[in-house]
Amino acid sequence: MLEQLMQEIRAGGTLETNSLALRLGVSPQMVQAMLEHLERSGKITSYTACDDGCQGCSLQSACSADRRGAKTHLWQA
Amino acid sequence: MSDCHEVAVSSPPRSLSVGTQIPMIALAGQPNMGKSTLFNLLTGLNQHVGNWSGKTIERREGSFKLDERELILVDLPGTYSLTANSPEEVIAREFILRERPDLVVAVVSAANLERSLYLVSELICLPAPLVIALNMMDVARQEGIQVEPEVLEAALGVPVVAMTATRATGVGDLLKVAREVLDGRRVSQPRIPAIRADHRAALDEILMEIEGYVPAPYPSEWSALKLLEGDAEMTRIMRAALPETRWRAVNAILTQHDDAFLAVASGRYEWIARMIRAAVVQPKIGQISLTERLDRVAAHPIWGLGILAGILGLVFWLTFTVGSPVQGWLSTHVVSALATLGRAWLATSPLWLRGLVVDGVIGGAGSVITFLPIMVIFFTTFALLEDIGYMARAAYVMDNLMHLMGLHGKSFLPLFLGFGCNVPSVLGTRTIDSWQARLLTILIAPLVPCTARMAVVAFLAPAFFGANALYVSWGLVMLSLLMLVMSGSLLNQVIFKGQRSAFIMEMPLYHLPDARTIGLLVWQRSTSFVKKAGTTILAMALVVWALSFFPGGELQTSYLARFGQFIEPVGRWMGFDWRLTVALITSFPAKENAIATLGVLFGSSPTGSLGQVLTTAFSPASALSFLVVTMLFIPCMATVAAVRQETGSWKWTLFNVGMLLVISMGAGSAVFHLARALGY
Repeated sequence: MLEQLMQEIRAGGTLETNSLALRLGVSPQMVQAMLEHLERSGKITSYTACDDGCQGCSLQSACSADRRGAKTHLWQA
Repeated sequence: MSDCHEVAVSSPPRSLSVGTQIPMIALAGQPNMGKSTLFNLLTGLNQHVGNWSGKTIERREGSFKLDERELILVDLPGTYSLTANSPEEVIAREFILRERPDLVVAVVSAANLERSLYLVSELICLPAPLVIALNMMDVARQEGIQVEPEVLEAALGVPVVAMTATRATGVGDLLKVAREVLDGRRVSQPRIPAIRADHRAALDEILMEIEGYVPAPYPSEWSALKLLEGDAEMTRIMRAALPETRWRAVNAILTQHDDAFLAVASGRYEWIARMIRAAVVQPKIGQISLTERLDRVAAHPIWGLGILAGILGLVFWLTFTVGSPVQGWLSTHVVSALATLGRAWLATSPLWLRGLVVDGVIGGAGSVITFLPIMVIFFTTFALLEDIGYMARAAYVMDNLMHLMGLHGKSFLPLFLGFGCNVPSVLGTRTIDSWQARLLTILIAPLVPCTARMAVVAFLAPAFFGANALYVSWGLVMLSLLMLVMSGSLLNQVIFKGQRSAFIMEMPLYHLPDARTIGLLVWQRSTSFVKKAGTTILAMALVVWALSFFPGGELQTSYLARFGQFIEPVGRWMGFDWRLTVALITSFPAKENAIATLGVLFGSSPTGSLGQVLTTAFSPASALSFLVVTMLFIPCMATVAAVRQETGSWKWTLFNVGMLLVISMGAGSAVFHLARALGY
């Protein structure tokens, strides 16, 4: 199952957890758990929007993310 | 076929058989599963905190009485698995293997079994009786997840007790089961995860090589599995324990199966999926299906793009229908009125002071402040789209488009940040490992239309084009994105030659918008904008005013006019007079300065608001060309500084500036001459 997920990731392109879950025949939470596993193993990197800060930008407050827990979570392989 | 040794969980516990020893229970669990709450609930004040030997990790131990019998409770560090990825994981497994607790209670979350059962899939293979505390039943119920503890127990083959530690419910049941296991009255037959057949052979080969050499207390089959998984700690231990020839044989097997880590973990996830299929009923049906239904359109590679374009159009429509009239009113009734008032008050003051206040402060920074209503509408619509969860979909369909054009996937995240501001976009490229990919992203990042540039367009488009402003603005954003995709594809062809990398997004569920969240966001962004107008833009407006006033007090003979006239021939290619050329150049410190400069140069005119004056001063062809160049021009000073910092090279920074100059001036000239040819 994790191998299938890795195959999808290795194929490249943009993936989305809900459609990945459909393709793998598991729940989106399972895909999320496996992605977190791959992240802990150092296979992929996790980001949430604007983690990098906005030094020197006068519009930095416009980039604030993660309110009410409804944030976009992103991983890169 | 199992991937671990058979567990002797039904044998009488060590300490109870000795009689004099106090039974020990270990609490295991992933972080945030409510393990500490349960520990505190059971031990109360009878606990002490120290460190695990040789580590700085906290060790919590306590005692409690069960049926007048004292028990020791050890709170193991929170761990996701038992593979030596972290010191916590090593501590937890060493404790279970060396100290042999009489019972291990694994605290799992009923609301997220997918994640929390992974640790159980490892614990179930260790030689210690296991009980599952199925915690957070209340959260699971709230989220519409229905877990059946009895079914989970049958599937796992170990006792499962449903509980909610925060409300102290189910704790009595847990203790009752613990008592039965400790007394040997409850026998478990755990069902343990399997490994794929082709890796099973490798596991057996390793087991054969290490049998008889595995140091205590590690079970042989468990050690073989950990070696196959690439566990660093176990590899170190076995390397020291094995004779050289055997180690070489083991190492050869491991090298052949370097992907075994995935096979082993995969086996565990398949096991988890089976448990969940058996014990969990219909997770989160309502909200997910709504999100899925909406995403079938919103996240579709083609329809999604159409929706994105439509929404952008709608945002501009709203901005112009509601924002522009308010802006016009402010411009006529507030800025012009203030200017008249200022002129009257300062009638006897020196000419330079009147010019400074009326043209510099009111005309320059004042003009920028008038587009606050436009910005508020802008910020509100984007905050609303963000809050309901649409922005993630917009990003996803944009990324799909970039892939279609052959652009590198890793470039996406930084570019996405660029819609707010190009500076974090450039800084965000640090997440890209490959230098070439990073460079490409830095080079195209300034083509993402940032809010400051969109604001300039939102202000000038209605002034120049009236009713057609909506189509012009929408077209300008599309043009920017088209330029980005074109330059990206071109550079990608040259630098990357079609290489692709993966990018995974977890979209938030759609939510009903929350007025407070949106209000707060709009407030933050608006105050930040006003602050900027009061500092950076005001300072620049004053500099522009000073240059437009001195040496003689006449605009036509000022330093600014001389400089503008000097570079005017370049501006002419794009249909600009010297004033538009100067406005463009002054937008370098901050994009909004373009408006402040036009405000200084035209704003104090008594004939009407800045918008009205601009309409009469320039032809539609020049105006359109100016907007095109503004969208594609060299980014603001802060972004150029970020480009220099991130590329570490003046050569690339200048290349980027040159590239954007060519793109913007080329597009501007083309648009101007085309519009002229069409009679505008």
